[in-house]
Parts: sequence; C-alpha cells; structure tokens
Amino acid sequence: MRDRGAWPGIVVVVLLAVVFLILPHVYGNQSLLFQMMTFVVLTQGLNLLYGFTGYLPFGYVGFFGAGAYATSLLVLHTDLPVIACVIGGGIGSIVIAIILGPLLRLSGAYFSIANLAASQIMFFVVSNGNLSKITGGPYGLKIDRVYAPEASYLTMLAILLLATGLAAYFRASRFGLGLRAMTQDPVSAAMAGIDVVRQRVLVWLASAGIAGLAGGTYAWNLSVFYPDAVFTLQISVFAIVFALFGGVGTVIGPIIGAASLYLLYNGIGISFPQGFELLYGALIVLLVLFLPNGVSSLLTRRGVRVF
Amino acid sequence: MAKSKSRIAAACVAGAAMSALAAGSAGAATAPAVLKIGTLYASSGSFAVASEGQYQGLQFWAAGVNKAGGVFVKAFDKKIPVKIIAYDDQSSTATATTLYNQLITQDKVNLLVADFGSVLTSVAVPLAAEHHMLLIDPTGSGANFFTKKTHYLADVSIPASTVWPIPLGDYLLKQKIKRVAVLYGSNDFDASQANTLKAVLAKGGVKPVYFHGVPTSESNYTVLLHTIAARRPDVVIELGYPPNDIAFLRALSGSGLHFNMTFTIFPGQLLALLTKNVGAKTLAYTYTYPTPPLVKFSHVTSGLNTDDFVKTYTAAKHEAPNFLNAAGYNTGVIMQDMLKTAPQFTQISFDRALLGMSGKTKTLLGAFKMTDHGAQLGELLPVAQLVPQGKGNKIVVVYPKAKATGKAVYPAPKT
Repeated sequence: MRDRGAWPGIVVVVLLAVVFLILPHVYGNQSLLFQMMTFVVLTQGLNLLYGFTGYLPFGYVGFFGAGAYATSLLVLHTDLPVIACVIGGGIGSIVIAIILGPLLRLSGAYFSIANLAASQIMFFVVSNGNLSKITGGPYGLKIDRVYAPEASYLTMLAILLLATGLAAYFRASRFGLGLRAMTQDPVSAAMAGIDVVRQRVLVWLASAGIAGLAGGTYAWNLSVFYPDAVFTLQISVFAIVFALFGGVGTVIGPIIGAASLYLLYNGIGISFPQGFELLYGALIVLLVLFLPNGVSSLLTRRGVRVF
Repeated sequence: MAKSKSRIAAACVAGAAMSALAAGSAGAATAPAVLKIGTLYASSGSFAVASEGQYQGLQFWAAGVNKAGGVFVKAFDKKIPVKIIAYDDQSSTATATTLYNQLITQDKVNLLVADFGSVLTSVAVPLAAEHHMLLIDPTGSGANFFTKKTHYLADVSIPASTVWPIPLGDYLLKQKIKRVAVLYGSNDFDASQANTLKAVLAKGGVKPVYFHGVPTSESNYTVLLHTIAARRPDVVIELGYPPNDIAFLRALSGSGLHFNMTFTIFPGQLLALLTKNVGAKTLAYTYTYPTPPLVKFSHVTSGLNTDDFVKTYTAAKHEAPNFLNAAGYNTGVIMQDMLKTAPQFTQISFDRALLGMSGKTKTLLGAFKMTDHGAQLGELLPVAQLVPQGKGNKIVVVYPKAKATGKAVYPAPKT
C-alpha cells in the first residue's frame, strides 16, 4: 500500500457497513436499500474493470445474470447452504469470464460491443425453450423455498464491502498503480516489468466474480424471476451511468454516483411518477453538460485528491 | 409503608389495565377514512400498452365507486371512498420490486394490485407473502406462481395461460388439420401456450411441422415466415405479445405468402391497436382468441355487464374499451365484492372471501373461479375469425359450438 496506507479504504468500508446496517431501522422499504446496494456493487465491479484498465463492458449484466442462474440452479439441484450457492454463482461468472477471456484481445468500442453481444448470447441461451429442463427457459426459475430478504440483504452488504475493499486495494496498492500505468500505455508498462496480460485477466475475473456474487444474491432476494429480470441491458446501462456520474478510477466515486442517482431515480419515481422520465432525463442531461467527469471532478478541480 | 406499597400495587394494576385497554383498541381495526389501493403501471417499455390499459380500467372502476360514495366494507358496515396510489415501474422488474415494497411498507396500502402480466407480477409474489399482503393479480398468469396453497395471491381477471390454447387445439383436431406450424415468443406467457397446444395436438396424433421459439424482442419475421412456408403448413400459429403480433402480421402481409389459417393472440384483445398498425385487410380472415368486450357476458352478478361497460366507459373516456381496460375494471369489481363479503378487514379474510365468491360470481369477463393456489380458471377462451365487414372486421366465434356465432371461412381467401 502507498501513501496513507490502507486506512482510507478501511474507513470507507466501515462507514458503508454502518450506514447499511442502520438504514433498515430508519427506513422500512428494504427492497429499495437492497437494490441500491446491488447497483453500488455493480457500479464498483464495473469500476474495477473500466476505472482501472479502461475496458468498458457494455455486457456487464451477462456476469450478473450468469451468477443469478448459477446460484439458483445450485439451490434447486443441490443441498448446499444458500451462501455456498451464492459463492457458486460468483465462481460460475468467473468461469464464464475465463471462457470470454479472449475478448480482452480487443480494445475500445470493439471490446464493448463484443462483450454486449456475449451477454445477449447468454440471455438467449438461458431463455431458450429447448433448455427449459435445465435453465427453466422462458419460464424462469423459482427458488422461493430459500426466500430470506434479511439474510440476502446482509449477504449483499458483505459483497458490497468486498467490492469496495477490492477497489480500495486497486486504488492504493502497487498492483493498482500497475493497472493505471497499463491504462495509460500498455507497451511502456510491459517494458517496465508489469505483467500486462496477467494483471488484466485478474481484474477481469475479479470484476466478473463481483457481478456473479451480486447476481446470485439478487436472485435469492427476488426468488421468482424470468431471464429478462437478470439479463436486462438496463442493469448494464445503470451501472455505467452511475460509475461515470460518480467518477471512475476512484473508490468513493462509484458509491456516490450509484447511491445518489439511484436515490434520485426512486425519489422522483415515488413522489412525481407522472413526470418521471422527463425529470430524470433532464437531470441526466444537465449533469452530463455541467459535470462531464462526474461529481468527484468538483473536488479534484479544487485540488482535493479523491480516494 | 404498607399503605404506600398497596398504592403502588394499585397504580400498577391500573396502569396494566389501561395498557390492556389501549392495546385492545389498537388491535381492533378502525375504519380508514379512505381505502388505499396500491398498484403499479408502466408508462414505457415492452409492457406499456397493456399495463396502461389495465390501469385505466382500474381508475375507471375507482371513479365509478367514488361517485357512489365509495365501496361497501362489510367489516365496518359502511361505505368508504377509495384512493389509488400508483407508481410507474417503466416495465422494469428491478424498479417494480422497490415500488411494490414502497406501497406496502411506506404507503401502507390496504389492498395491493399487481401490474400487468407475469413478468411484472413475479417480483410482487414473494414480497406480498413476506408482508402477509394479499396480492390481487389482474393478469399475471405464470404457471410458476400457483404451485402451492397460499392466502396471499389471487389471480382475478385471466385464466392461467397454460389453459388458453385448449379450445384452439381441439378446434384444429376437429377440423382434421394435420400440418400445423407454431412460432412462439420465448417467454412464460407464450411458451406455456405453445407447449399446451403441442400437448393437445399430440393427443390427436398431430405433431407440428414447425415448432420454434423466438426472442420476445423479435421484430423481423420475414425469414422465419419463409422457413415456415417451406414446411408447407396449413395453419400458422404465432404466439406473441402485441409488438410480436404486429411485426408478424406486417411481415406476412409484405411477404406475399398465404396460409389457409393464421392465428395470433392480440387481435382478440386489442383489435383497434392491431387494426391501426397492420390494417383491416391484413387481419381479414385471421383467427384469434376473442375476449370481452369482443365477446359479451350479459348476465352478471357483480358490476356492469359487457355491453353496459362498453357504453359507460366510452362515454367517460371518449374511446372504446379493450380487453385490458375490462380486466382492470374487473379487478376493481372483484375487490368490491370481496370487501362486501369479507367479515373482517384482514388480508386472510379477504382471501377467504374470494374463495367463497369462486364459482358464484359472474362479471363482464364471465365466471370467476379461483383455486386455493390463487389461480384463476374462469372462462376458456373460444376461437374466433375476423371476417371483413365494411371498412373493418367483425369477430365471428367459430368454436366451441355452444358459443359459435358463425362458421369459419376455411381455407382463408387471399385478400
């Protein structure tokens, strides 16, 4: 660890834990808090890849959906405890990421589009009627016998802390410094002794694993779901928008971006449903116009180093 | 000292008695000033057309009962006005989950009504059960929902999609049609119908010459149609949502292909929308499941009958209602009857009231028959053909015989 060591990361992780443990006692809509955590996790997971390697995965939802399905199938076909099934979901996504590893040979828009296509292929395979006996096909999956909103909430919180801890490690370690050097110039980074391929693959797998764990816990929390619910592109779009809004390559940027925009999204949706799309759309346009580098740029412009 | 002890004891007893009284009064339900009905609708996304139709029907019902002073609630022996609290889920299950929870935990609605269809209803099923709320489910007919006994789910307006194609399959067998092609959307609603149809046909020894699922988002049917034509089917059955039906019928019209019989689902529910998008000529001689108000139920025990509903709705909204408007209205009517008969103002009592109404209630959608799993059996959907009349098409019910209003034109002439 460099500079201030691990402390900023520990402080952020502890703060997140305290906030999300207290919030359900203050505000009764636990689904909103759960979904907010899910989006913070996904935004942080996407930040690991995009913020630290420059690879923007449009099809990030594919890992999320793969995790949801792997977890649910383990619940349905094994006697493992649910937590083990969720971990299995994360491993399932990592396996998918290994299969899709060659996509990392692409870069820029080509990588993003190929990743998007891969997620759509996963969606079509899973929802194919001919695979109904294995994946549930278009009928989706039902794991309501393990439905436990409180336990799934705490599990998502643990994943959130893990994702934030990983981002903090990337932000403050030599490993993370190497990643940022690769993003600037991979050839120079390789010449300086950084194992570019190895580090890139490790981040790719970590990012996929985080999405898989989140997907598994999300499926556990929903307990009845159709393929569309866990493979909808809206999930990727939200994670990307939230990450960009908060500021990628930082630890707190994605947390601020996801939490504030998701709260705003629901605040408008609940208090003014008739004008929801107009208001939310207008806000996004204004934010892009006046804060193109995310809210963290407000601080960096004033010389504050955002963690 | 003894005196002071006895005073303390008396104070404790008095305190305990007051607490018990307070607890008693808090425990007994008091009549709310308004009855809060929470629901969701989608103003955008793939379910918007259907969801808004259902929501408008529910609003129409609420306006009607409020004009009459509210709904009669037996538990309080008085009429109470209703207030609909509705949020826009934009066809997103993630948003719907949060909003259903908002309705239950923050708005503390008295009755919870699901959004349109199985996808947007699915997330509410465990949530409602967790909070011990009866989920009134107008149109979510996914087979996954009704696998066990529950007090917290009631499908009120449409039968489970698995039973929809039974009359259609019987009709094809009766007509001795052997070459059947089935194209369906890869979603619960369409795939379950496709599989039921396949099973019904199999009983008659008919194996589809083409049986293929496509993504729900499919919008280009031209290649698929030519692939189907290569199998030389007599009948082509396309099972999809409204955007699929529109895309399929447009592609069929533009392809120059012609089949003896073509079937799609939504002309029977959203005839005006389909006519506007594909034209009356394209729809001519195609088949569908006709639903109210295209088929009428005159004798009802609750609410308006189909004809009166059409007249009143058209006068109020300045447009003719479709099936989804009728389904939304029917949901209100069923809740109204439920409140009229439930002896207690509790969710379990509401569920028991619905089960008690089952088999005895008739509305503009026909018979209300609910199982203790919450599934709706209701009316089986007949088979109808759209026959040209003037500038449009009229619905001619061709099967079953008891409901038939005419004979099918088969093979369909080229239009």
